[in-house]
Amino acid sequence: MSEEETNIAEIKSIKDFVKDGRIDDAVNIIALYLGDSTEENYIDRLENILEALLHLHGGRTVLRFLLENLIIDIPSLLENLSKKDSVLRYTFLLLLKTICENECDLFLPYSEDLLKSDDPNVREADLQLILYMAGGDAKIDDRSLVNTIVEKLTDEKDFVVEKAIQTLITIGGKSPTLVTKILSDYAKERSENEELKNSIDTILKSIVTVEKIEEIVEDEKSKLETPSEEISLEVHTHKDLEKEEYKILDKEFELKRKGLEIKKKKLELEEKEKEIEEKVIQTKEEALKLKEEMLIKEAQFGEETVTREKLPKVKLPKKLKKEESEIIDKELELKKKDLEIKKKKLEIEEKEKELEEKEILEREKALKLKEELIEKEKELSQVELELKQKSIEQKEQKIKEEEMKRVEEEMQKIQRKLEEDED
Amino acid sequence: MQPDDILNFLNNESEKKFKSELIDLLMKRIDKLCFEECQIDRIQCTLTPLCSRRFLLKLRIKNKLKLDDLPKFCYSVHKGVVERFFRNKTIVYRPYDAYLYLIDFVDVFFHGDYRKLNKFVSFKNWEEAFKIFDDRIHNRNEKFDYLLTENYLVFKFEDRIHVIFLNELYVLCNANRENIPDLELLQGVCKLYSGINFPEVKLRLRQSKHVEITVKVPFEVLNEISTEPSINNDSKADNYFWNTFWEDLNALTQYCDEIHLQMDKNQNLEIILYLSTKTSNYDGEENPVSLRFRDLRLILNFINRIYHDYFVIYVD
Repeated sequence: MSEEETNIAEIKSIKDFVKDGRIDDAVNIIALYLGDSTEENYIDRLENILEALLHLHGGRTVLRFLLENLIIDIPSLLENLSKKDSVLRYTFLLLLKTICENECDLFLPYSEDLLKSDDPNVREADLQLILYMAGGDAKIDDRSLVNTIVEKLTDEKDFVVEKAIQTLITIGGKSPTLVTKILSDYAKERSENEELKNSIDTILKSIVTVEKIEEIVEDEKSKLETPSEEISLEVHTHKDLEKEEYKILDKEFELKRKGLEIKKKKLELEEKEKEIEEKVIQTKEEALKLKEEMLIKEAQFGEETVTREKLPKVKLPKKLKKEESEIIDKELELKKKDLEIKKKKLEIEEKEKELEEKEILEREKALKLKEELIEKEKELSQVELELKQKSIEQKEQKIKEEEMKRVEEEMQKIQRKLEEDED
Repeated sequence: MQPDDILNFLNNESEKKFKSELIDLLMKRIDKLCFEECQIDRIQCTLTPLCSRRFLLKLRIKNKLKLDDLPKFCYSVHKGVVERFFRNKTIVYRPYDAYLYLIDFVDVFFHGDYRKLNKFVSFKNWEEAFKIFDDRIHNRNEKFDYLLTENYLVFKFEDRIHVIFLNELYVLCNANRENIPDLELLQGVCKLYSGINFPEVKLRLRQSKHVEITVKVPFEVLNEISTEPSINNDSKADNYFWNTFWEDLNALTQYCDEIHLQMDKNQNLEIILYLSTKTSNYDGEENPVSLRFRDLRLILNFINRIYHDYFVIYVD
């Protein structure tokens, strides 16, 4: 049986099984059919399968089974489709649309790697699948994946860029904050790329509507507010605490400001010290120059008198040597002093830091104590309230009892009067 | 504003500058649509092109623009669709009346020999070209027929007609709703069909105005037809000639210039059809509507039916 005849027979049996609703059998036959293929005819066989499934009612179900059971795996499928003509490639991608929309777990794990494929057709097809997924039930908020998609905005192929734009617009519909943030970061990184700017403009214009702006702003706000959320909750419940906490916060800010001022002053001092050191070095250099000039002049003078006097000729170098050694000694001393000053400064800085840390710890302790005090005060006030309530209740009871007595007495009086009247 | 207003303006406006500005606008819009809007999204361009069945490609190819002036991806898809239709594979739309450059046509339909054929056809080296065609028909079991006229090379693959325009070096593939441009091509297509399906039907050019086709219904067949219509008659000839024949003739009158029915000296019925590039129908402005390939197919199907059902049987 020739290859063509086997193809026809196999495809016919696959079609028959699908028409009869025997999906499992159809899947098994396809697995065998593809399993028997060689390197040369694999793509043709795959195309035959895809062609058959495109036409069949139930073909999509078979395809889902094939993907689920890894009889056809997504990366090799897209790579093989890339070798085929665009009509088959895109028609088949369209067939995957519903599966992408409803079961994105089948495709999502491969998406990021496929975006890095060398083949632009694979990159484009992958973007199309992501677009379908984003258009379905799923919300794509994987930062890494979105980053990779954003990188495709600078792809060498225009059609990949276009597809990336479409995909980001669709993803941005559900995750505007994430897409906007990543896009703005990417635009900052590549601020010189005009085409990229235009692409990003297009995406942002499509994503950002009045409603979405509110959503983005709210997201940003909530991010900023999350660290102090617990405090704010307490603020709503405890009015007394509110004021104190504000005070504490204010104090913290003041302390921070003071810390910054101290740092600034330290930096200024360091700069001044450096300037002084530079001046010292300059004066030393000038002194050295003067000495050198003096020496040169003396040497010239010595040469002139060399024939007449021999003693000064020997004495001058000794003086110079002494002076030089003295200068070097002084320089060393100065350096030592500088080092000592630096050490002292460092020690002072360390001490200051320690003090600051101690201050912070003390402040924290004070804050804790304050919080504890506030809680205790609250408890006390509650107890006081309870006591007051009890005393009020007791007074009420007393009043009631007294009134009851009074009423009884009056009743007795009335009864007596009545009895007297009857008598 | 209505489309007709623009058409009227283009027809009636005396100021040429205004017309040229308007046409310039249209051209810019077409270029933007093809090169920027449609083909930038390749999936859209493949599955749902922004012009119906890529007619804007036809506009470019028929006006002798070269491949460099075409939206290339769109053209590659167009060629792919023609090829897939030829190989009976899944397609987004049927590529009827699709125009391709000669080299792409021979690449799709005669893949292994496309370089040679492109050269032979371009330089009208018919001997070599026909060798390749005949070799494919006789030795490689390929099923097609061809016919050469002065300005056209016509192919018939199953029921699909493809026409190479030899001077322009482009090809009309799967001819259907396109008008038949001249009598030469009309006669060529008729000859090609006649040679394959009804070789004994007379076909000739009449006064360089019409193609005359004469088909006969033998006297013996006519003699078997009852003189009056009857409901219970099982005779095929009776049924056809009493019920359908006149309807067929009536339908053909709108496509043929003339239809003559006459008896020859042997009492056979001669049905003579006079065809031209114009039909008997008129458009809104009372101009005769051109004959299209699909109209011609109806006429040829009629002749085929008469020939096979009533002429060949008798002769056999």
